[in-house]
Amino acid sequence: MKKLLALMLFVSLPALSADELHLYNWNDYIAPEAVKAFEAQCKCKVVQDFYGDNEELVAKLAAGAKGYDVMVPTSNYVAGMAKAGWLQPLDKGKLPNFKNLMPTYLNTEFDPGNKYSVPYAMSITLIGYNDQKMKELGITVDSWAVIFDPRILQKIKGKVTVLDSQAEVMAAALKYHGYSVNDRDPAHWQQAKETILKAKPYWAAFMAQGYIKELSTGNIWVVHGYSNDIFQADIGAQEAKQKFRIRHALPKEGAVLALDAMVIAKTAPRPDLAHQFINFMLEGKNSAALTNITGSGNPNTEAMQFIKPEIKSIKAVFPDADSAKRLEQLKDMNKKERKLLNRIWTEIKAK
Amino acid sequence: MATPQNRLHKWLIGGPPLAYLVVFFAIPVLIMVLASLRNSGDFGGLAPLFSEESGTLDLTTENYGRFFSDLIYTELFLKSFAYAAITTLVCLVIAYPLAMLIARSAKKHRDLLVLLVILPFWSNFLIRVYAWMIILGPQSVFVSALNRVLGTIGIEPVTLLYTPFAVIVGLVYVHLPFMVLPLYANLEKHDPALLDAAQDLGANAWRRFWRVTFPLSLPGVYAGAALVFIPALGIFAIPDILGGTEGIMIGNVIKQQFLDTRDWPFGSVLSMVLTVMAVALAGLAAWVARQSRT
Repeated sequence: MKKLLALMLFVSLPALSADELHLYNWNDYIAPEAVKAFEAQCKCKVVQDFYGDNEELVAKLAAGAKGYDVMVPTSNYVAGMAKAGWLQPLDKGKLPNFKNLMPTYLNTEFDPGNKYSVPYAMSITLIGYNDQKMKELGITVDSWAVIFDPRILQKIKGKVTVLDSQAEVMAAALKYHGYSVNDRDPAHWQQAKETILKAKPYWAAFMAQGYIKELSTGNIWVVHGYSNDIFQADIGAQEAKQKFRIRHALPKEGAVLALDAMVIAKTAPRPDLAHQFINFMLEGKNSAALTNITGSGNPNTEAMQFIKPEIKSIKAVFPDADSAKRLEQLKDMNKKERKLLNRIWTEIKAK
Repeated sequence: MATPQNRLHKWLIGGPPLAYLVVFFAIPVLIMVLASLRNSGDFGGLAPLFSEESGTLDLTTENYGRFFSDLIYTELFLKSFAYAAITTLVCLVIAYPLAMLIARSAKKHRDLLVLLVILPFWSNFLIRVYAWMIILGPQSVFVSALNRVLGTIGIEPVTLLYTPFAVIVGLVYVHLPFMVLPLYANLEKHDPALLDAAQDLGANAWRRFWRVTFPLSLPGVYAGAALVFIPALGIFAIPDILGGTEGIMIGNVIKQQFLDTRDWPFGSVLSMVLTVMAVALAGLAAWVARQSRT
């Protein structure tokens, strides 16, 4: 018996004593200096694991993955994750910096009262383009027409990529037709599909990430992509001393806003460290550090003073009130809708 | 006469491969069969086996119905089939001379040459495929040189990256060693005396190859073809990276069911069909190989 007890103690000991915070986050979605600063403050170690897509995170949790403390899903996944019992309610008493957040991004329908989630940063799905080439060709990039209208596309055939995401491509096509990104009318979906199929021959590829490099090297001139990636592409172009810059364009029809939020896993081994971490990331300086390296949108009032002026001046990422109104967050679909969308997507990709 | 000792030997020899098959093939396939008959969960995964309302067993054949009632999935299978078949053929054409060269080179060089064939495995598969993105990209030396040559004879410049051609190049590149190695293993064992005899009897080089070497190498060809064709059929990473807007294969659709659509049961159905096809093909290859031997 004693032996058994000793053995159990031995087995459970590392779990108790390890001062480690397990962060499951998007790729390159935290400033390394912020990680270092937090490690110094909490006298613990931050162990990072990465995903490239919310669905990857959800699939992993659905398969029973445990051991993560903090995760950073997009807001529209929070409701589902809470319902599935994967999250634990936050203790606001331990998050004094919560007050730094802009009210616009709080209390959303995905998490009323922010019971489970705290906004972290955001990105907008918009158009990125090579300014030199567009000027040469006389194309004004201010609408989804650049992605979907064959009359414009014929000038840039094979130089366009769109995201490899059924939800995002469908949302952009719906916006192009003047519908909400969350429109579920099968007739409108059909219409969007026709538009996509007509535009597809002009696209080079469906790309989830590769377009960053392709923009920087000048192989691709126009992309449907995430604002953060387009920012990275511009940095890449400048580092490579290209003659062109990569610019953001927020289509006038509106676009998808993705508000990423920090949540704590129900099975978190260290909820105490998790709260400490979230509060730390809500400090203006630490929140700004992320925006300064990723070019992400920022929901933190205190962060604004620390954000580089050249980033703050990107209108597409820090839109004025009027443009901000045309941004929509994607809502989760039910099973039937998801199956139908996948059927449409399979057809789009197979044709 | 089966003595107890004999029986023990049999188990010692046959047990481990049997256990391997059960653990790594039979059980996963069974799990897949079950998953393909269930409903999908709300957030991926599977719905509870017993429905929450009625408490009855919640099984369905609807997922199979969806596959068989919609031609698009069969079309994708056929397309993947074509990709895999072309890959196998190209691999065979490239690998055969290479394997023969290695098999006929001096013994002291052979190990080194085989090592060179395996060498690419030492770096990550994805990195090697990404390298092809650079080689086939519009600004690469290779493509710009090719387009200059085409330009001089009045042909429009070509795009190679993000085309079905790029997918085939990637598939061939990744699977080539799987064709070279079984072929080499086979060709290396050929008795040179056979070729000498054929020559003495007046057969020219082509005839010696076609009537002696090639028929003897058929088991190697079948093994290589199976090792290339079956993995190529289910692959998704290469069409994802190198394929354009029309490069997708059935593997991509299966991946989508698990990672985008949260429809594990339908993903299982597609995987089942793929597995059945792979097993049938492997069986066919084994049968053909046996026929040709007798």
